[in-house]
Amino acid sequence: QDLSKKNTANRQVVEQRRRLLEEWKAWREQMAEMLEEEGIVDEKLEIAKQKDGEGEIEEIE
Amino acid sequence: MRPILLSGHERALTQVKYNADGDIIFSVSKDHVVCAWFSHNGERLGTYHGHQGALWTVDVSPNSEMLATGGADNTIRLWEVKTSKLLKTWDFATSIKRVEFSPDGRQLLGVTEKRSGHLGSIVVYDIDLDIEAEQTSEQALRIVCDESKATVAGFSYGARYIIAGHEDGSVSQYDAKTGELIFNTQVHEPDMMVTDLQWSPDRTYFITASKDKSAKLLTTNDLEVLKTYQTDTPLNSAAITPVKDYVILGGGQAAMDVTTTSARQGKFEARFYHKIFMEEIGRVRGHFGPLNYVAVHPKGTGYASGGEDGYVRVHHFDKPYFDFMYEVEREQANL
Repeated sequence: QDLSKKNTANRQVVEQRRRLLEEWKAWREQMAEMLEEEGIVDEKLEIAKQKDGEGEIEEIE
Repeated sequence: MRPILLSGHERALTQVKYNADGDIIFSVSKDHVVCAWFSHNGERLGTYHGHQGALWTVDVSPNSEMLATGGADNTIRLWEVKTSKLLKTWDFATSIKRVEFSPDGRQLLGVTEKRSGHLGSIVVYDIDLDIEAEQTSEQALRIVCDESKATVAGFSYGARYIIAGHEDGSVSQYDAKTGELIFNTQVHEPDMMVTDLQWSPDRTYFITASKDKSAKLLTTNDLEVLKTYQTDTPLNSAAITPVKDYVILGGGQAAMDVTTTSARQGKFEARFYHKIFMEEIGRVRGHFGPLNYVAVHPKGTGYASGGEDGYVRVHHFDKPYFDFMYEVEREQANL
């Protein structure tokens, strides 16, 4: 009986985590869409691109 | 996970920051000196001299060309990273508790301390990205904090909002263009200072640390509390790790503040919590005093902590750190 109680408790913990993880993923997707709609660019990526661009110019010279 | 000890400071560390590439760490301390270090081996790269008082804050521009610092000598200073050349000094009536660049590096904010006759404020300057240019002395914006002084502040995604944490445990959202207060909400326990505010990589959410012994994850848009991480010690700092869904919390009670009833002196450990499940998953010891700041490598490969003991400890995560997964995470990954 103790064992079955424990199993039920464990299952509840796992189900709770599964729910939290799904909630989180859904919210993250929502935020990614929001940023895209707002036209927010990833500045770090932009800077990395610029740096790459500079490198190419140097090669040409 | 054998740490690298950066010993070069003579007094307590107040803030440490990685640059965007993660190859350089900048540190500031009460010893008035700003240091730059190679993050992979801890070799000191340079120092920036000029401040006349304890330093409270440092930030590096997104392209790693400029460094901003602020401290008890009532100045914000702007430096050229490469040459250590001082580019600009802005003078104030009170000390500077926080500086932070906007995501595109075109703006810099500073949080000024409150003192008799002077309310705390958040000031913003436009930054000319040209390193040779004369930087402006004109404030683009000045937000006066007449309710409770700001202790920390930063720019949201797209520099749309300025988010600030306050001495009274509340968090505010301001319009970053007009400086108008949009709203303020009590997030931490009343009169428990917000000690740190660090962003997620895309700045749609952030983490706050407080003297109320908790850290909280908040949404940028609504300041809604998504997660709470409860600890048993006052917190000075909290960081969000990319790659793995963890947060790292740092704090600890200074020896002189430890009461006789306190079970254990110190508790000078970095604490790792699962960001989504809010459960503690590990601790890293090492410092001999409270952790004043924790910073995460932008690629999520390690972290650095600055302590009241005068050391910076740099940790490179090893394989078990990346391999560790909850059962439900494994399920999701295998889908």
